[in-house]
Amino acid sequence: MQSSKKIVVLGHFGVGKTSLIRRFVTDTFSDNYKVTIGVHITKKVVEISPDDTISLILWDLEGTDDIESIRNAYLLGTHGVVFVFDITRPSTFQHLNNDLKIVSSKIPNVPFLVVGNKTDLVAPSELKSVFDENNISVDFFTSAKTGDAVNDLFSKLANQLVSDA
Amino acid sequence: MYPKMDEKDRLEILKDILFADEHEFEQRVSQRIEILEQTINERKNLSEKVDPIIEHQINEFKESIPETLGPAITETLKKEIRINKDAVVDALYPILGKLVKKYVAQEMKLLSEKMNSQLSFLSFFKRKFKSGVTGQNENEIMLGDLATASIQQVLLIEKDSGILKASYSKSDAMDEEMVSGMLTAIKSFVEDAFNQRNQELESIEYELYEIHLQSFATHYIAVVISGNYMLSAKNKLQDIIFDFYHSFMAMNLDLVFETKNAKKSIVPVPKSRIERELAKYFGNAKL
Repeated sequence: MQSSKKIVVLGHFGVGKTSLIRRFVTDTFSDNYKVTIGVHITKKVVEISPDDTISLILWDLEGTDDIESIRNAYLLGTHGVVFVFDITRPSTFQHLNNDLKIVSSKIPNVPFLVVGNKTDLVAPSELKSVFDENNISVDFFTSAKTGDAVNDLFSKLANQLVSDA
Repeated sequence: MYPKMDEKDRLEILKDILFADEHEFEQRVSQRIEILEQTINERKNLSEKVDPIIEHQINEFKESIPETLGPAITETLKKEIRINKDAVVDALYPILGKLVKKYVAQEMKLLSEKMNSQLSFLSFFKRKFKSGVTGQNENEIMLGDLATASIQQVLLIEKDSGILKASYSKSDAMDEEMVSGMLTAIKSFVEDAFNQRNQELESIEYELYEIHLQSFATHYIAVVISGNYMLSAKNKLQDIIFDFYHSFMAMNLDLVFETKNAKKSIVPVPKSRIERELAKYFGNAKL
């Protein structure tokens, strides 16, 4: 049986949302940065078990420094959320808990994963003290460039969606 | 006593008396010629005198081009185009070629598809029969049939999430799940941007296709139409959609209500069943 689920991927400008999705869907990476305008939609079918697959419809929302300003219309009917920040740019995670609170209030009761991207540039262990100071809890540290932990991230989300169904 | 003068001296005196005025005139003319030579030889001086005149002439010339040279230029261009058709085509092709080629290819494909269906054995007899009954020329009937709008694809989509519930399609050209998501994103953006709560996006035009959108409480139907989509066809399509809604959708709670918070669990209608119904209502529909 195959079901389809809407996943929104959001976060600040240039944190690597589009690159994460591209790595997951087409297993490619490009250094050529292009800003996402509005929303870009892609799809990937994930195998949960030999008899069970799930179709993830990924809504790559344009980056914004003000999470409050995300169009509510894009968030309606969301089944899962991936919030991405850039571990090399503190401005993208300084107010993380507040940003997460805003997103949770807009999209309540759905699986929610927090992702620190660009581990190819800085080792997360070097930033541990910064995250501890700010009381930041991160689900996955990924690198869209090397592909590190990208599949694990979406695989975990897919499994959560299936078990919640 | 006057000194004695010879003949030559007397003639000189007489000449002076007679040509005094002419001599003065000759001197003035010489002076003027000298000034003119100076003016012409010194570029700056000449420029000061001549530039305003040339400028005036050029302006007059510019203004008179449409009247004086316009017809001649037009005629020459027409003649050149007539004589050197190939050269003109070569020059224009990079600009218009791609556009025309794409359009013609699409039109030919559509025409070919429609011709094939029109030339089928069954269509041939239907046309013969119609022609016999109405007295209308067979070719006219065929051309009329070719121009009519036809349903290419129908998508039943969840209004909020954009998740595709079921679809009916005459071809498998695109990823319907992604198209459903994108249609929903466009629809959401337009409705959100204009901030009109009770208004919905009703159609999207895409070159030779039109996507008709019909919203209901929790779902909407997107119908992709090719051909001549006139108002009468739109009315017929709306009748078909509403018929589908009342006869099928309204009978299945999960297609008309938000079931997430329902007290009783509601069994969703299977996708295969919805697709059968879509094919039944839209597959043979005539617009």
